[in-house]
Amino acid sequence: MNVPRAGLTWLLIGQALLLVPLWWQLPPWLLLFWLVCSAWRIQVYRMRARVPGRGLRTAMVVLAAVAVFFSSGRSFGLETAAALVVAAFLLKLLELNTRRDAWVLLLLGLFCQVVAYLFDASLPWALYSVLPLAALLAAMVGLQGGQGERLGPPLRRAAGLLLQAVPLALLLFVCFPRIAPLWSLPLNSGQARTGLADVVAPGDIATLAQSPELAFRVSFDGPPPARRQLYWRAFTLERFDGRRWQQGGLSRFQAVQPWQPVGEPWRYRVIQEPTDKPWLFALDVARSTAPDVQQTQDYRLQRRRPVDQPLYYSVESWPQVVRDPQLAPALRQQNLQLPATGDPRMRAWASDMARRYPESEALVAAMLQRYHEQDYHYSLRPATLGSDSIDGFFFDTRRGFCAHFAGAMTFALRAAGIPARMVVGYQGGELNPAGNYFTVRQYDAHAWVEYWRQGQGWRSVDPTFAVAPQRIDQGLAEALGADEPFLQGSPFSMLRYRDLAWLNTLRLGWENLNYGWERWVLGYQQAQQSELLLRWFKGWAIWVLPTAGTLTVLLLGLAVLRPWRRQVDRVLRQFLRFERLLGWHGLTRAPGEGPHAFAERAAQQLPGSAQAIHTFAQAYTRQRYAGEAAAPATLAVQLNDVRRSLAGRTGPQRKPLP
Amino acid sequence: MRALLDASLESINEVLLGKKYQVRLALACLIAGGHLLIEDLPGMGKTTLSQTLARVLGLSFQRIQFTSDLLPSDILGTSVFDKDSGHFEFHQGPIFAELVLADEINRATPKSQSALLEAMEEGQVTIEGATRPLPSPFFVIATQNPSHHSGTFALPESQLDRFLMRLSLGYPAHAAEKALLMGEARRELLPRLPAVFDHAQLQAVQAEVRAVRVTDALVDYVLRLVEATRNQPQFAWGLSPRGSLALVAAARAWALLAGRTYVIPEDVQAVLPAVASHRLRERADTAGQGGAALVQWLLHEVPVL
Repeated sequence: MNVPRAGLTWLLIGQALLLVPLWWQLPPWLLLFWLVCSAWRIQVYRMRARVPGRGLRTAMVVLAAVAVFFSSGRSFGLETAAALVVAAFLLKLLELNTRRDAWVLLLLGLFCQVVAYLFDASLPWALYSVLPLAALLAAMVGLQGGQGERLGPPLRRAAGLLLQAVPLALLLFVCFPRIAPLWSLPLNSGQARTGLADVVAPGDIATLAQSPELAFRVSFDGPPPARRQLYWRAFTLERFDGRRWQQGGLSRFQAVQPWQPVGEPWRYRVIQEPTDKPWLFALDVARSTAPDVQQTQDYRLQRRRPVDQPLYYSVESWPQVVRDPQLAPALRQQNLQLPATGDPRMRAWASDMARRYPESEALVAAMLQRYHEQDYHYSLRPATLGSDSIDGFFFDTRRGFCAHFAGAMTFALRAAGIPARMVVGYQGGELNPAGNYFTVRQYDAHAWVEYWRQGQGWRSVDPTFAVAPQRIDQGLAEALGADEPFLQGSPFSMLRYRDLAWLNTLRLGWENLNYGWERWVLGYQQAQQSELLLRWFKGWAIWVLPTAGTLTVLLLGLAVLRPWRRQVDRVLRQFLRFERLLGWHGLTRAPGEGPHAFAERAAQQLPGSAQAIHTFAQAYTRQRYAGEAAAPATLAVQLNDVRRSLAGRTGPQRKPLP
Repeated sequence: MRALLDASLESINEVLLGKKYQVRLALACLIAGGHLLIEDLPGMGKTTLSQTLARVLGLSFQRIQFTSDLLPSDILGTSVFDKDSGHFEFHQGPIFAELVLADEINRATPKSQSALLEAMEEGQVTIEGATRPLPSPFFVIATQNPSHHSGTFALPESQLDRFLMRLSLGYPAHAAEKALLMGEARRELLPRLPAVFDHAQLQAVQAEVRAVRVTDALVDYVLRLVEATRNQPQFAWGLSPRGSLALVAAARAWALLAGRTYVIPEDVQAVLPAVASHRLRERADTAGQGGAALVQWLLHEVPVL
């Protein structure tokens, strides 16, 4: 096929545009591969090169597959599959012989476009994806030819087609059933995501505080709680090895004690960015109706699978609920665990405090008092600590981040015989006034303490508040001293320039747009869909809509396909079988060859079957053209005679050479 | 009836050697009730064929030699004053015969051509206000030289459409020409040929042609052919409904000659070149000679089933 110039140009432009968003996910050599394939295709177009033969094409396919396999680290994940699809898309350029090849190529392109959404479905990329889509459509128009050499007309036609498709796309977006995937490939993200980790050493959260990345967004039904109430729980840390805090086995896997809601709940919806971890973020004490989510023993919300894509869920939280009024012995033991040795000064100080304050509440108050009154500093640059890290921090350096304060306090409470644990999550968030929702970023990461008291259950206490109350009331930027610039590692983050009012307004507006995109477009899943449709079509109408939809599709299908006009011609079907049978013996009928002439030719070539062939052909002709009653059964019998007379022959008979 | 048709074919083939396909087509054209246009170089046996057909079918025969000074009245006839009776008396022209051979029709002026062609279509002529019926049956066999010969007025498409078929005889094959040279002069054979048909029998055959069965499946094929001529870009224009009717009529006659009472696609294909090629023109070909190639395309590409 001579590819029209406009079609080829748009095709190459479309490929280039398509490769841009996929670039970060694909092995770099694919770009080289694309350059080779497209240069080759251009040379073919200019008649300077030949289309590669079957052998070369096969070799290239094998080469590409092997290269993808090796560059993917020999594991088959989503990136590998995407690389394979893209490689196929690029290779197909060299096999552009028929119009059908062109269709296959364009469909592959559209598929690659969808694949790109798997990696990044954010608003900018979604807007960007209109470009490759338009280019591919223009290529489709251009490949039809007849539009001349110019590039403009195909693009205009493509844009028109896209515009016409918008209403249909909207309708399908709203109404088309969201079906859960039948299978899925693991998204093997090589790069670790920024966020909370399972194991926390005191400095980890300080590192996290340098990152302005989005963690999640929350919008409340009704007025939001005060900022100092926004403690977003992720999980708890119970095991301390003298250096780092880890999760306890019980809290991770055991289901929570049943509890009853008390008082008025907060209702809110969360859109969580992917973390590759199973936990969700919620205020205490939370309950979510999202599928697959359960609450474990430490009152966290946990999902069965890791959150590897933006997740939308709604939560209700009852802050007044009493948690675990009775503590099981195993739990008690877990929350009193301390390393066998180390930090002797802290142990001594704690037991001294326990003697002085037998009531746990008084003990906690005394500790907070110490944090508040003595010379403790809130800092993102804590001093390095030696082997007895708790002692070193609490008595010597006294500079630290929330995890230091919380860690030391938990240690002290446990040493004083009070069950306690560290809670990790986020605190606060930025209220976007335009959209009335909170944006919580990585630098809002926080750690605080929970201790247990007989009859009152777990109680939260935040030692950071005693040291730096402005961290809780206003946020991290205000809590840091003048010598510690906010977001030092991200000089281009717009968050650094919050003091510029117009820039801040712009930033909040853009965030608002993104939030709407995530909430209304990406977050529009099965549950939201049925909720929306239920709201639109209350009661009986919920049945009318699918029925009407099905009927419409059915009627459209009938109008287009008109099955009643395609009467099943069983006589003709027998002849087609006859044709296929002779085809195996090397006789093919040209479209313009009549049945009689074909039978004549067949009889000459297959003299052994001439009789049977004539009988069949005559019977067929009489039934089809002489008005005889259709008797496909008779034809089938006669066809069998032909088949039998041909038995034993394999392949076309060759004439002996003269 | 079958025997009569076979006998007449045999008789004509005795005179016209080695032209079985063309002879069969010509006979099919006449028993389908159509007019025949034979286009060929001078001396290829056009006149012989028409005279033989007239003879075999038992028809009265007239020959009009078309020349550039031929007037319509030379064809149709004219009124002459008879001084004995004192009235004008109509003298019939040569067109009042059952088979008229219009020889070299494209050498006459369009005015004279149209006089003949109107008669062909209407089956009657109107002269000086009086309508006079032509004999029945009435056939015209016109011959013409290829239109690029000098001194010719090409027939316009509208008039070509009135001929059911256009044939060209072509040079005889080697063996046929040898037999021709060795044998008697063809013209001398003619008077000795017996008439095979009488009028009643000819009418019966024509009725039988009309009774030949055409099924849905076959009509679908004809429609596919016709639609292809109308939709495909290489055709300057498509076949008219008169063209598709002509195609079915000719295919019926062909089927009857083959001894069948129903039409099969091969019948349509056999008559298609003769019926369609003078009605079609290739878009790229302004001279109007390219119908044959289009017909070959139709035969190859339009699906039969």
